[in-house]
Parts: sequence; structure tokens; C-alpha cells
Amino acid sequence: MPPKSSSGKDKDITDEDEVLQAVILADSFNKRFKPLTVGKPRCLLPICNATLLDWTFESLALAGVQEIFVICRSYADQVKSAIRDSKWSKPSSGLKIVPIVTAKETFSPGDAMRDIYTHGIITSDFVLVTGDLVSNVRIDEVVRAHKERRRANPNALMTMVVKEGGAAHRTRSRGESGVFVLDPNTSECLHYEPVIGYPPTPLIKIPREILDEHPEVEIRNDLIDCSIDVCSVEVPSLFQDNFDYADIRRDFVYGVLTSDLLMKNIYCYVAKDGYAARVADTRSYDSVSKDILSRWTFPLVPDDNHPGGHAYEHLRGNKYIAKDNSVVLSRTCKVGNNTLIGSHTTIEANATVHASVIGQRCTIGPGAVLRNAYIFDDTHIGAGCVVEGSIVGARVRLGDRCSVPRGCLIADGVVIGEGAKLRKFERVSRKREALKAEQPEDADEEDEEEDSDLEEVEAHQDGAEEILGQGSNALIWPQGAPDDEEEELDERESYSNQRLMRIGDTASDLELSDEGSTTDEDDDASDTESSYSFRSRASSMTSASGGPSLSLNLSNLSDPSAHGASAIHTLSSAAAETEFRSEVAQSLERAFAEGHSVENAAVELKTLRMASNVPLRRVREAVVGAIVDRVPLVPGDPAAQRAEIAAFVRRWGPLIDQIGGVDPVETVEVLQYHCAQAGPRQGLFAQVLAALYQQDLVEEDDIRAWHLSAAARGEGLKPGSALAEGVRKCWAVGAKMIEQFDAESEEEESEEENEEESEDEQPAKPKTAAPAAGKPAARQASGSEEDSSEEESEEEGSEESAPAKQPSAAAATRGESAATSKTPRSSGDDDSEEESGTD
Amino acid sequence: MDFDESSTTKIVTREFLAVILAGFGNELLPLTSNHGDDPCPKALLPIANKPMVEYPLAWLEQSGITDVLLICPASHRSAMSNYIQSDISSNYPSLRIDLQTCEESQDMAPGTCTVLRQFSSRIQSDFVLLPCDFVPPPSLSLTQLLNKFRTESTYDGAIATACFYEAGKPDKGTVTEDWGMIPTNLPIVFDERSGTLLHIDSPDDVDNNSNEFELRMSLLSQYPRTKLSASFRDSHVYVCRRSVLDALNAKPHFDSIKEEFIPWLCKPQYQRTRREKYGSILSPVTNNLSQALALKHSTLHLPTPQKQRLRRSAAGSEADDEHLRSVVPSPVEEDDEESVEPSLRVGLVAHRASSGFASRANNLHAYLELNRFFLGQTTWVLPSDPKDRTLIDQKAQISSDSMIGRSTRVEERASIKRSVIGKHCVIGKMAKVVGCVLLDHCVVADGAKLDGCILGTYTKVGAKAELSRCVTQPGYEVGEGETARNEKLETSDWTARDTSESQDSDESEDASEDSSE
Repeated sequence: MPPKSSSGKDKDITDEDEVLQAVILADSFNKRFKPLTVGKPRCLLPICNATLLDWTFESLALAGVQEIFVICRSYADQVKSAIRDSKWSKPSSGLKIVPIVTAKETFSPGDAMRDIYTHGIITSDFVLVTGDLVSNVRIDEVVRAHKERRRANPNALMTMVVKEGGAAHRTRSRGESGVFVLDPNTSECLHYEPVIGYPPTPLIKIPREILDEHPEVEIRNDLIDCSIDVCSVEVPSLFQDNFDYADIRRDFVYGVLTSDLLMKNIYCYVAKDGYAARVADTRSYDSVSKDILSRWTFPLVPDDNHPGGHAYEHLRGNKYIAKDNSVVLSRTCKVGNNTLIGSHTTIEANATVHASVIGQRCTIGPGAVLRNAYIFDDTHIGAGCVVEGSIVGARVRLGDRCSVPRGCLIADGVVIGEGAKLRKFERVSRKREALKAEQPEDADEEDEEEDSDLEEVEAHQDGAEEILGQGSNALIWPQGAPDDEEEELDERESYSNQRLMRIGDTASDLELSDEGSTTDEDDDASDTESSYSFRSRASSMTSASGGPSLSLNLSNLSDPSAHGASAIHTLSSAAAETEFRSEVAQSLERAFAEGHSVENAAVELKTLRMASNVPLRRVREAVVGAIVDRVPLVPGDPAAQRAEIAAFVRRWGPLIDQIGGVDPVETVEVLQYHCAQAGPRQGLFAQVLAALYQQDLVEEDDIRAWHLSAAARGEGLKPGSALAEGVRKCWAVGAKMIEQFDAESEEEESEEENEEESEDEQPAKPKTAAPAAGKPAARQASGSEEDSSEEESEEEGSEESAPAKQPSAAAATRGESAATSKTPRSSGDDDSEEESGTD
Repeated sequence: MDFDESSTTKIVTREFLAVILAGFGNELLPLTSNHGDDPCPKALLPIANKPMVEYPLAWLEQSGITDVLLICPASHRSAMSNYIQSDISSNYPSLRIDLQTCEESQDMAPGTCTVLRQFSSRIQSDFVLLPCDFVPPPSLSLTQLLNKFRTESTYDGAIATACFYEAGKPDKGTVTEDWGMIPTNLPIVFDERSGTLLHIDSPDDVDNNSNEFELRMSLLSQYPRTKLSASFRDSHVYVCRRSVLDALNAKPHFDSIKEEFIPWLCKPQYQRTRREKYGSILSPVTNNLSQALALKHSTLHLPTPQKQRLRRSAAGSEADDEHLRSVVPSPVEEDDEESVEPSLRVGLVAHRASSGFASRANNLHAYLELNRFFLGQTTWVLPSDPKDRTLIDQKAQISSDSMIGRSTRVEERASIKRSVIGKHCVIGKMAKVVGCVLLDHCVVADGAKLDGCILGTYTKVGAKAELSRCVTQPGYEVGEGETARNEKLETSDWTARDTSESQDSDESEDASEDSSE
């Protein structure tokens, strides 16, 4: 929770005139565009001749955002100067853009959010986008919907903007996507499951409990995640509280939705019309470019509202040519559909340009062929070159008759010799010397990481000369999967999955159950004729059988890293539980010794539980255990023992229900198991249970429910073990108690009758002398309990029944100590044992 | 019943065979336990004074299906055949009912799969599998289901059509827990637009993972927008291809159709390996060949992506791939490869609660609810038969939302509200019956009070006894002045022997009554 009064928040929500803030995460936190991003941040890469950052600003301005914070990390100076020089920083733009440089140690969006929190710049609900957004969605409408929702439900934390597309839409990433589970009426997001393309995610897991409250939900695998989130003020603080959240979707959304402590809601805004997409990888660079050229992004199109401020003329067939008459097209060149040509560009004779984007001041040599190519500014393409499905950076010189086939990425300033034949998916950048010579001011500590990258690349340059041709200044980046793949912690950045996000790569040799619609590798083995049990094992091992067929045996890793958050939970939970146990023991020790109030002790336990994230049951076990263990033993004096227990439970019993959830059935079960293990204190079970009953901590129904449960009967325990034996005994005690309840209810119906009569009502149960001595007394006691629970009067129940109970318990223990004197076992125990023999 | 309609459809050759499974009805115990030595078949338990099997039979008749294979336990044979010969042949003359029995005992009933496998040789055409206890809503005709099956099986090779009905969770207060648990709905995943059943969350799935649903990605990529719902219940009405039976025979370890076989049947439609394995069994003849030719030339129909991918991966490495792409595939080759694959879909008709009440009488709660539902639809008037009319005393109070069977005597100042009273019952003086279902031959003595009870046949309630929310076994006797609440009253062994003596005299009466019916 942010340190904000609720009244202040209300004001924020209702105040319509407030400034709409947006936060742009300008860093991508991955390396998908390498080597294009050597010496340049990704958000300054041009798409359709305007930088991604400009497209993002334009999209936000369209949505009525007034104040924008740009979070940048690498090449922050470049980003800053780009913002300074852009049209947005002019006073007339109506936008206030504040760049914020975060620490070098910011490695994930989560880190960036924590940084935002520490900066304290967010004052109201805000829009969170990435720095590579192209959108014409009316975000202001989403914000309005979000605020309305928040007024009704203060727990509405976030609204994610998603776009209806279809599972195989071209702007939907094949490599990483997500399945949303939505309530069809409120479009509340009930569950989010991340999906990666390779190794294919075989199964989607949806928690069963969401059906309890939402009997009918929609599972959507056709939504394009636009990474536009309208967040409430407390979102950054949640990141601060959960320092392991890294990704906004996989960790934050998943974490919030699966948390049983937070109780926050996340909603989706399913955009029916409008366009929104991220340029998250080279493949989406391609598809978003095409979308812009085919005017899906209207009104953000090259001939109108071009974010770079260029002016283009729109010709038939979606050809865009710079308006200032500076473009030189030779008479014999061919310009195909879906093409954008920047100003001062020359296209020489017989050159063919098709479905490509060409930057400013480029020269396309005679006879060159460009197909699906993206050429940045100031690049020279030699005569007779063929460039296909590739991205060529700025100031590149391609010699004559070069061949650049599908999927190549050529970084800024590269020179490639005459007649060079690049291989497919070749990645090329300048050598280090060349880099440093040109931009000495940039070669400071900024690029240490990059330097080491380049160093590695330099180490493997066998045969580069042949490929790159004479006079090249370039390095070839290694193809294929790196050898040190195991270093890659995040599977979605693994080589094979990245192939799905690569420009021009059909990835047809990868087995994709995701894409292939009917593939199901790991079912092969599991659907044998044998039986269901085998199937369950196979599927729970998650594609162990699918592994061999994959070219890379990554499948073993698939489960843990696919659910990063949950993996962390399971790993840490074992350690956390042991730590938790000792912490709780100490905490309770203190509480008992120093006589804390129950409330304070409960608060302490709750905090501990949240800190170590253990299930509620552990807390219950600890508390019940502590109570049983700390009851002062009074050997040889049953009456005093009773009094001690009653007093102790009266003092500390309420703590059991204050630890965060009331589940009396579980309490009894926990008590049973604890007593079963407790050795000499085993006999306390009956008395503690009676005391709990008396304090109204457990009701008759709860004891019955416990008694019927499988755990109570000790099912699943090893028969004959000491624990099983103890559990069985305790169960028998419970059985006894229930018998008394039964007798009680019968008695009640036929008025208050004497013991003799009530015994007559149960002719089936022959009684021996010893239990008969204990039983009437016990029954009398439970009779008085019955009264108290029968709501005659609350105070009476709590005050009078306690003393009333004592003599009976005394009688009980007396009777029992006469029979078996060594260990303090309860009378109920004896009775039921004998009865179970006779039954 | 509309006789004209059925007589016109009779000319058509047999398209579907209806298979009705009538079991012991263990969920309806003690109503279905033996009365002395006579069985009380579940199929003949009346709902609103009509044997429950008549509801599916009427539904079948309306849809024009004439051939019915009725399978019941061997011990029920005489009672069932008696009923068929006397009642059905007169009420539904168009139905030809083939009564078959399977050997089973009440304790060790074989699974529905086993029963169906046993009779698979008798089923030679596409078939409709029905339970004996489904009461279809008037707004949903079987023809609707059949038509969906007919369209989809010829158009894209669907193999079955199932019918689910929406059933909300009952309110806490109205349910008597002592009557046993209400079965929880199996959550299903379906595609609403195309009406396709994709996944049933079977009990085995719950065993495998009790916290989460596990759904195949292949399902979600084929049907990217699906619904997951826990508000539907299986009506156990399935329209199936004959070939489905072959698949059933191929999976000998399946026991329950509803909980094992149908969930399994949903899977080949999106799991490739299963499709490869069972596709030939489930769809041996491409009876959609004629459509295939048309579809191939249709611009709207795309070949399945799987096909495309297979061809691509066959091409091998990328270099070859490149080469292949430039070569236009010859049309001849395409003819061989591009036969349209049957979808093996399982269609779904999801019946919403808003469009009419439907239920299966497969537990005591539903049984009572169904009876009450029909009470709400009828208004009681004095019987037209003068003989019956005389049996009802002038001073008896009978509310209009009640139903009283033939030859039932209601005595002076008895009060009946919101109840179904069977045939040949006796309601004594000053007796009060509220919200009850009394099966045939019940005797309620003077001054007894019944509230929310279901009384099995031949139950006798002593004078001034009070029962609230109880169910009795046939032939049970409630003593004078006894009270019971929320109980299932069953004749234990010694009382059964007692009654069987007194029953001997009754039995002769029975026989005479039966023959008179």
C-alpha cells in the first residue's frame, strides 16, 4: 500500500481534470535486436523512418497523455538527447517528457518499477507502456473505464489492454504469448498463463478454484498483448514489496492473480477496434512495418501524423514517397507495392524495390533487388545486390553484387566487400576498433558488457573474410545455438525460441505444438493402451517423452523456467518452512512468557506467515502445538490438570482463530496429529478438545466433520507406526465424544431426563462398569456445554460451563486413573476402545 | 401424442437406433431397493405419476425414431416387459422396442461401457444413446440434436453430438444433506461458436491434478476462444456414429461412458497422435468424399495447417525448402495428398437454463425437484372418472398444484399441498401431506404429517406419525406416532422378513391390480 490516505485516493479517482501520466519503459532488457543495437538503444531504431520512441510518443499523445516519464538504462544519453531534439520537447507539443535514468543494475521491467517507486514520481493512476509501441487505441477510454471500475472496486489494480487477433495473427508473437482466462461479463482477468513457442508449452494449467466464483469463464488464446497497462498508484509499491517480480506479465500478473493474500483484481480491456502492437523482436518489426504501410494504424500513417515529422505522398498500392521532390527514381527502376522511400534517396536504373522501407539519403545501385528489406538512413546498396527479408542499418556500404538473403541483420556503419555472399540469418557488425574510432566519447564504462560480447564474437572469425568480401570492416556473429546455452536462465531468450521471433525465419523444422494445431508430442507415449495411471505419470513429467524428438534437449528445463515465479516458490518453500517453524516457536514462546495480548501475537504470526509464504495450516499446527506443549502438567491431580487446561485454553485458544482463517475442522485434525506425536501428552487430546469446544472454538458439527474425514482415521499412514497408533487412539476419543453428542441430542428432544433413561435408549451398547462410572459425569458435562452452545446466553455459556465441566472431568480422570494409572490417558479413550471391541 | 406425425415418418428407412440404458438406480436408493423380493426398476419410478422412462421415449417418438433397444438388468425383465406390452404399445404405437437384459446384480453393476460393448453387435447403424432418467425440456427437441449431427457428420466428419444442460447450484437451505451428496458438475471446455465439445474434466483428471485444470495447448491453438464452464451437466444423450462403438471396443478398460469414454472421445479432434491412432477406427470410410471435392475447390476452405506443415517438414532442411517453394506443386500430387481430413469433432448442444428446465433424475434431490417442476405446470381438478371422484372426500383440502393418481382415496379433512400422490394410495383423515412425492400403494394413516418426503411404493405411515424430509424404502412401515427427520428409512433385514409375511396377502392383490392395468 502506498503511504496515502484513503481520502486522498478517492479524490484522485474522482478528479477528472488531473494530469494523465504515462511511464515508458524505454529499455528492452533483452538482446533480440543485436547487433543492430550495438551503440544505440533499441527505442531509437527507426521503423518506417521514425524512431520507435517517436511512435510511442505519438501513440500516447493520441490517447491524451500529458506527462510522460521515460525510463532509460542503456545509452541513456542518446535517449535524452533524442528527446531533447524531438518535436515533443517544444512547448507547443502539450507533452511534458521527463527522462529518468535508472541504475545499470536494472535488469528487468520489475527493477524499473522499483526504481519508479523510489523516485516517487507517480501521483495517480498511470499508463505503463514499453518504448516500442505502435498504437492507435484510445487509451483514454481505457483509463476512464479503469477509473470507473476502481470507484466501484478499490481492489482493481490494473487494466491490461489486449487486442482480439487470433492464435496465428502476424503481430502475435509465436515465441512468447499468453493465455488469458477472463470472466466474459466483467472481463476480469482470472488467470494468466505464459506460453512460449519452443520448446512448445504442452499444457495450460488453470486453478480449479476460479470456477467457484465464476461458473463460466472464457479461455482466450487469441489475444494480442499490447503491453499497455493502466495501473493504479499502488502497482510500483507492489513491485517494491515483492522484490522477485521481474516481468510484468509472468511475475506480476501471475503473482497477483495466484496470491491468496493480496486479494487484488486485474482486468482486461479487449480492444475490438484500433491497432496496437509492440516491436518486441525482428519478426514483429517486419509485421508492424507492414501494418503501418497497409494503414492499419490510421491515423498514424506515413502520409499523415508521421512521428518523425516527414512528409510522404501516398500513391496507389500503398507506396509512400517523400514529398519534397528530392527522391530520384530512375526511369527503369521498379517500385512495387507497400514501399516507403525516404527523402534524398536515389534508386538507379533497373533496380527493383518491393515491400521494403528505404531511409533517407540512400542510394540503391543499378540492378539491385530489394524485397521485404528494411534499409536505414545513409546506406549505399551496390549495383546488382540482392537484399531479401533483412534489416540493414544506417551508413552501411554494400559492395556490388552482394547477396543478403533472408533474416540478415547488418549493423550501422558496416562495409561489405564486393561480391560477398552472406549466409541466411547472418548477423554482422563493425569491428571494435572501427567502433571506437568513430565514437570515442561513447566508449566509456557504458559498454563494458557489450565489449565482452564483441570480444567473444571476435574470437570466432574463421572464414569471415570469405563471406564478407574484400575490404570489409565487419565481424560475423556466431550462428546457431551458442554453446553455453545453459547460462541462459530465461528460456524464452533461448536460441530456438528466438528463431520464432526472427525476421524471415519460418522455423519450419521446429516441432511446434503451439502452431501446428494438432501436434501433441508427449501424448505419443502416454496414450498407450495400458492404463490411466501411466498417462498421468507421463503428463506430469511434462514432455519427458517429447524431449528426444527436439533438436535441443531443453525440455527438462521447461517446467521450472516456464513458471519462473512458481518455481521460486517451491524451491524456497522448503527452506522457508523450516525457518518459519523456528521463528514461530520463538514468537509464541515470547508471547506466552511475556503475556502478550492475543491480538498482538496474531499480528506477529500473520507477518511471519507472509514473510515466509507458508500455508495457513503450518501456522495452525504451530499454534495448536504450542498450546498443547505449554499446558502446565499436573501429574497425579486430574482436577487441577483440568483447571490448568481450561484456563490455558481460555487465555490462548482464541489465537487459533485469529491467525488468518477459521477452520475448526482442521484445528481438530491438527490437534489430533500433534497429540498423536506428543508422547506423554497424548492423553491431553480429549481434555484440550473439550476445552476448545467449551470456548466455542470448535462446534459439535466440526468435530463430526473431522471425525468423518479420512485424515482423522489415519488413512495413508503406515499401519502399526507410533503415529498411526496415536492418531487412531485420538480418533477413538473423538468417536466417544460424538456418541455423547448423540446421546445429548436425544436427551434434549425428550426433555431433560436422567442418565438411566438415556442409557436405556441405547440398548445396543453394553457397558462395563468402569466406563459407566466415567460416562455419566462426562455426559453431564457435555450437557452443560450443549446448553451453552444452544445459545441460551453467551456469557452464561462461557462462565458457568467451565466450572461445571471441571468436576466431570475430574470424575473422568479419576475413573480412568483407577483403571490404568501409568500414563495420563483420558477416560474417553478407554471407553471407546472397549466399545469398539464390542461393536 | 401426435400420432399422425409419427405415421408419416415411418416410411423412412432406419437411420438411427435408439439405445436406452436402464440401470438399478443406486443413486435413488432406497426408492429402488427391492420390495420384498420384487425389484423396483428405476426406469419405472414415476415422475409426476408417469414412469420416468416414458419421457425419453416420448422424446424419441417425436423425433421420428422408431427402433429402440432398451437394456435393463435381468432381474427387471418381467416388470419391464409387462410395462412395455401394456403401456407403451398403446401410448407410443410407433415405437418398436427391443428389450434386452444384461446379467448384473445390484451390488456389482457393470459399467455402462461394458453394457454397450455387450450389445454392440445389435447396433448396426448410427445410434442415439439415452439414459432412462433424462427429462428433456420441451424447448429442445431431439430432432435438433439429430440435425446437428447429420449436418456435421457429413460436412466435416464429426463423430458424435452430445447434449448438456445448464444446472445451477441448488440453494443451501433447500437441500437435505442426509440424502446424499449432490453430484458436482464436471467442468467442460467447449467452443460456443461452432458448438464443439473439447474437453470434459473427468474424475481422472481431478485425480491427476486436483488444484488445476490441465488443457492442451493444441486445443487452444485450434480453438483460441473457448469457454470453461462448471454450470453444465451431461444429459447422457449422445448421438454417435456406428464407428464410435469400434473405438469403444478398442478401449476395453473403460468402464463409464460419461466419465471415461466421452472425455476420451473429445481428444482425437485436436491431438494429432491420437488422431493418427484412432482416426481410421473412428472414421473408416470417408463418407464426406463428395464434400471433399467441393471443399477443395472452395476458396474459403483452407487445408489444415497440419497438412501444410507435414509437407514442409518432409522437405527437410531449409535449403531444400527454399528450392521446393519455387517449384509449384503439381496439381496431380495435390489430388493425392489433399483429401480433406475428417475433423472427428464432438458436437455439443448446450441447453441454457433460461430456455427451459431439464434434468436427470439421477439423485433424490433431482427426483424431487423434477416432480415439483411438473406440479408447477399442472392444475389439479377432481378426476373425471366418477369412480375415482367418489374416493376423494368433499372435505379434503387439495391445493391446485397437486397431482393425484387413479384409485386413490383421500379421506375427510386430509390436506394435500404441492404433492404428487401415486395410484391406489390412501390418505387418512386429518393427514397433512406437504411437498411430498408418494409412489403407488402408499397408505398414510389418520393424522399423520408428511413434509418434503418421498415415500416408496407400499409404504405405510402409522397414525399421527410425523416425517420430515425422509425417503422410505418400498414397503417400509412407519410406526404409530413415530417421528423422523432428514432420514433414509430402510427396512433392515429383520423388518423385511416381518413385512414379507404380511405381504403375501398383498401380493395377490398386486397381481390382480397389475392385470387390471
